[in-house]
Amino acid sequence: MNTTTFRTDQEFFFDPQRCIGCHACEMACAECETNGQTAMIHVDYVDRFLSTQTSVQVCMHCEDPVCAKVCPADAITKDEFGIVHSANTARCIACSNCVQACPFGVPKKVEPLDLMMKCNMCYDRTSAGKKPMCATVCPSGALFYGTREQIGRNRPNSSPVNTFRFGQQLVKTKVNIMMPKGATELVVDSE
Amino acid sequence: MFNTLNLRAALVAAVATVLLVASILIGSRNLTNFDPALVAYLFGCIFACFGIVYRYTVWLQRPPTWRYFARGWKLFFTGRTIAYGWELVKHFIVQFLGQKFIRNRGKARGFGHMLMAWGCLLAFAITFPLVFGWIHFGLKPGGINIYEIFVFGFKIMEFPLHTVLAEIIFNGLNWSAILVIAGVMIMMRRRLTHAGQIAIQTFEGDWLPLLLLLAISLTGLGISLDYKFMEGKAHQFMAITHAITVILFLLWMPFGKFYHIIQRPAQLGIAIYRRAGAEGPQAVCPHTTKEFDSQMHVDDVKAVAAELGFNYARKDGKSHIEYSPQGKRALLAKAHLKARQKAGSLFG
Amino acid sequence: MATLPVSAENLITQFGPSLNFPPMQGYPGRDEPDDVVKTHCCFCGMQCGIKLLVKDNRIVGFEPWEEFPFNEGRLCPKGVQRYLQNNHPDRLLDPIERVEGKGFRPIAWEAAFERVVSEIQRIQGKYGKDAFAMLSGVSLTNEKSYLVGKFARVALKTRNLDYNGRLCMVSAGAGNKKAFGLDRGSNNYSDLAHAEVVMICGTNVSETFPTLTHWIWQARDNGAKLIVVDPRLTPIARTADLHLPIRPGRDSALYGAILHQLIKHDWLDHDFIANHTTDFEKAKEAVKDYDLEWAERTTGIAKEKIMQAAQWWGAAKTSFLLHARGIEHQSKGVENVVACINLVLATGRIGKPYCGYATITGQGNGQGGREHGHKCDQLPGNRDIENPEHRKYISGVWGIDEKELPGKGLTAYEIMEAIHRGEIKGLLSICFNPLVSLPNNNMIREALEKLEFYACIDFFLNETARHANIILPGSLHEEEEGTVTTAEGRVVRIRKAVNPPGNARTDTSILLELAKRLGAEKHFGFNSSEEIFNELRVASKGGTADYFGITYKKIEDNMGVFWPCPSEDHPGTPRLWEDRKFKTPDGRAHFNGVAYREPAELTDAEYPMILTTGRVVSQYLSGTQTRRIGKLVEQYPEPLLEIHPKTAARFGIKDRELVKVVTRRGAAEFPAQLVETIREDTVFIPYHWPGKKSANQLTSGHLDPVSKIPEFKVCACRLEPQGRPAPSPAETKAYASA
Repeated sequence: MNTTTFRTDQEFFFDPQRCIGCHACEMACAECETNGQTAMIHVDYVDRFLSTQTSVQVCMHCEDPVCAKVCPADAITKDEFGIVHSANTARCIACSNCVQACPFGVPKKVEPLDLMMKCNMCYDRTSAGKKPMCATVCPSGALFYGTREQIGRNRPNSSPVNTFRFGQQLVKTKVNIMMPKGATELVVDSE
Repeated sequence: MFNTLNLRAALVAAVATVLLVASILIGSRNLTNFDPALVAYLFGCIFACFGIVYRYTVWLQRPPTWRYFARGWKLFFTGRTIAYGWELVKHFIVQFLGQKFIRNRGKARGFGHMLMAWGCLLAFAITFPLVFGWIHFGLKPGGINIYEIFVFGFKIMEFPLHTVLAEIIFNGLNWSAILVIAGVMIMMRRRLTHAGQIAIQTFEGDWLPLLLLLAISLTGLGISLDYKFMEGKAHQFMAITHAITVILFLLWMPFGKFYHIIQRPAQLGIAIYRRAGAEGPQAVCPHTTKEFDSQMHVDDVKAVAAELGFNYARKDGKSHIEYSPQGKRALLAKAHLKARQKAGSLFG
Repeated sequence: MATLPVSAENLITQFGPSLNFPPMQGYPGRDEPDDVVKTHCCFCGMQCGIKLLVKDNRIVGFEPWEEFPFNEGRLCPKGVQRYLQNNHPDRLLDPIERVEGKGFRPIAWEAAFERVVSEIQRIQGKYGKDAFAMLSGVSLTNEKSYLVGKFARVALKTRNLDYNGRLCMVSAGAGNKKAFGLDRGSNNYSDLAHAEVVMICGTNVSETFPTLTHWIWQARDNGAKLIVVDPRLTPIARTADLHLPIRPGRDSALYGAILHQLIKHDWLDHDFIANHTTDFEKAKEAVKDYDLEWAERTTGIAKEKIMQAAQWWGAAKTSFLLHARGIEHQSKGVENVVACINLVLATGRIGKPYCGYATITGQGNGQGGREHGHKCDQLPGNRDIENPEHRKYISGVWGIDEKELPGKGLTAYEIMEAIHRGEIKGLLSICFNPLVSLPNNNMIREALEKLEFYACIDFFLNETARHANIILPGSLHEEEEGTVTTAEGRVVRIRKAVNPPGNARTDTSILLELAKRLGAEKHFGFNSSEEIFNELRVASKGGTADYFGITYKKIEDNMGVFWPCPSEDHPGTPRLWEDRKFKTPDGRAHFNGVAYREPAELTDAEYPMILTTGRVVSQYLSGTQTRRIGKLVEQYPEPLLEIHPKTAARFGIKDRELVKVVTRRGAAEFPAQLVETIREDTVFIPYHWPGKKSANQLTSGHLDPVSKIPEFKVCACRLEPQGRPAPSPAETKAYASA
């Protein structure tokens, strides 16, 4: 315990346009030891009527996590590696503030457990030097875990971006989204 | 937490501590009913009282906490007190005594936690009133067989010695120790074998509390066993280690894992809040066009986020928070698609 | 045999399908497994590497196998959940026997074997050897496929052995043999990496071969243009550089039109055509009238798009063409395939790095299974059962007189037709669920009801097996050693992780025991899977699919070996045709003239819509395994009728409304799913479900004349909205539909 071989040179990169909506990540996430058969990653059709486009979302591990700030029970903490952990099971009072406040729509209230659960970047695996389950199994590279050099080599036409604008709010994250080459931020505002 | 002393909290804590001392004086009839052997425990409790109330008050002042706290009481006292009161009773029985939500997280885990919780609550119920002198026992004058129980100096019942009832009452703390030990064993086993737990547990956050509970229970039980089987030979050791561990427990209460015992009742407030929310208007996600939460909660989260310095206002006047989690995820995917399209290819 | 012994509902209660979910905290022992077994996923031709975690003879979980070169740990949801087929409550643990009016009762192995053998002998004695047929499947390993082939010919002595690969990619195999003289994907997928154009034809890669997506994405990262031919905007088509939404059944017209443009603009490799091919003129002659206007009219694809595809394909220096069931499941499957190959040959882009062509074999061991075993017209090593030399060689290996070796038999669908006509009276099946997977399955049901005796080897009581007299409980993929050959032609090792539970036995031991009791013991003296493989090596030696140089150790050391591998010091052949020595009699690759013809069933006033069928990512084939795994079922719980909103408006159909789909063969009701991702003249239904929810009640039994593959992908239908919303999937329970 408390011993960790978390690899700080490894980062998480995701690209929703590469997602083929297969749900392998979701199934694999549920095999993870820390969340016991509850998947923490989200895969949904954006609008099946129009398209087969899917959204895929892991926790972005914000630099200034709003989920932790709006938590009335101090249940969410960020560690020295920048991992924003899932709710402390002793403290969380299942109020869902984090669920509604997260601009990425990540935290999930698990009703029967009276508990919020969210992605902790497979801490049981990453803290042991392994890759997260979702990024290991993802068959389409929509989820990738590795070094910045690797992603630069594999994806010469894209740039990793970790700055988001939700309306007026600027959000910086540990996890990167793959954007067109040269992009520096992703703006999520009215269409 | 003590970097900058929170004056308001210090004041509230001081008042609470004064009130506790006063109740001790009154309850023990000016210390006439006070057991001097418990004096160390008493001071531990008084310090703990200050610490807990201080921490609780600091905690309440945080914007999200205060909003729930204020909103919860306001809801409770505006009109539907009986209905909400019943909700509280139900919630208390099912979730607090029954610990259903923890059992849902895992059978062994739920059972282990229930044993610890019941053991601790039983021990609190016995020791605090005894230590404060609120309760004391005495032989009924004129006999050697009948015991009397006094609360705040008033006699409330009597019972004969050497009966089952007497055994249950006198051994109350032993029973609680046994419950706690059994619970701790189950939880320790889990922490030793479950890979997920091993990955995220910490010594001070998860193991120290279990070890402390174990030490308290073992030494407490040890005092009784020592009397029964060892003619009190180890009394000194048992009594001192028990006192030290209990006082550590009390003083650590405001800071560590045990604070959740104090904090958890907030869940009752949430139960009322959610019920009131469900009865009121619902928020509809503009993306999914489905209801996803109470409008009250969405408005509250918006207000709290603003108070904390987060501004999700969009160009069209809407707030990003007005979207459901699924809607937010879709917005991000759509924005990303748009950015890709703008760059000339969906793929890159 | 009459109808089922008791109602299907009754059998479902007893034998499933029921859904297996892992316990909330995972299976105990997952953290400290006794063993971590490196093997492969049992679903689909990709054969992704996976590590299974074993505790107390149970599979308790999985771990990605990141070192395996094809998938490097990547998996699809079926792969992630594959371990849940183990420890399944529906697993058959004893032989069971049909009891009229009661269902099935467990019996001892001795009694079961005795009954099966006496019935085989009775039927063959009365009606002749060929009146007893065998049906097999290519989820079986190479060893078992080989054993089945030998068992049917040497022990059962029937010519009527065929397999479910008949409804997979036989048309591709036949097309490849015509063009190249050999049936294997010409390249492995690493040749995708620097292909300038990747054209994928009739293959929903993202749902049926999800782990192949990575290789296609890699090509695109390196600048490749992706062209996808599919009537639907599948997830892989969504971001493609060019999507050609073809009208189902018109594929050879599209490839003919592209060839027409290649010739017109001289985007040809004249040297290659002259030196290494034959019959280019025939191909040219066939497409001379296929201009863009004609192509647009026929295929329903805008001519600009067709031209764009031709231009990209024509101008490219490197390219890779992949196709799968979309073009192969047609009554002109072979023509579609050779029309694709014509494009590859015309540009000479084969046998060189990043110049590739392959069919994506669908089933787990679709590749190896068809090479060595149970195809009605083939002998091990991809040999021809009607070629006297081939017959002589295999008879020699098997130690039988060549005259005793049966000839070519009927194909799978034809076997069912022969049963229906009363010509075949007895059936032994393994690893095949024709009642779900064959087209026109109302006919299949009637046929099964006419059998005098039916014995089935399976681990679950699948829908077809409910009609059996005896079911012999066999083994799962993870319960026997063996090898399979992936879609790339890579031979990989399947490892035994656990023993069959209860009284279930390995498939191999069941077949060996039956062979012994049929008096063929001396030909079946195998003590291990490796011994079977070693005989297979010898049997394949000198054939086109030559495995002689492949050993278990070599596979293990190299994480797979590509055939052909003629000697032990041969490294295997990841890329074919580098030497330009094609396996046709003249050593050249053959163009084929492909004159377009219409699909077998056209739309008309009575049946105005085109129905096409296919798969979803969470299910595999007839669903015997995947309809029993809880989360896979939840992901896509029931078959939906995909329909374009404009078409829906025309018929007055609302989203989630129940719609009766009627064809000349049957009718079934499905909830409508309104999507703009399908052609307006086409509706789509996935086929993995049984009973009333089976799309194959509707599909047609028209077969390709050469390969006898059924036309699953095109038929005519009528839509009748039922005016009420469909019940919830939880109510419908399509996974266990009676």
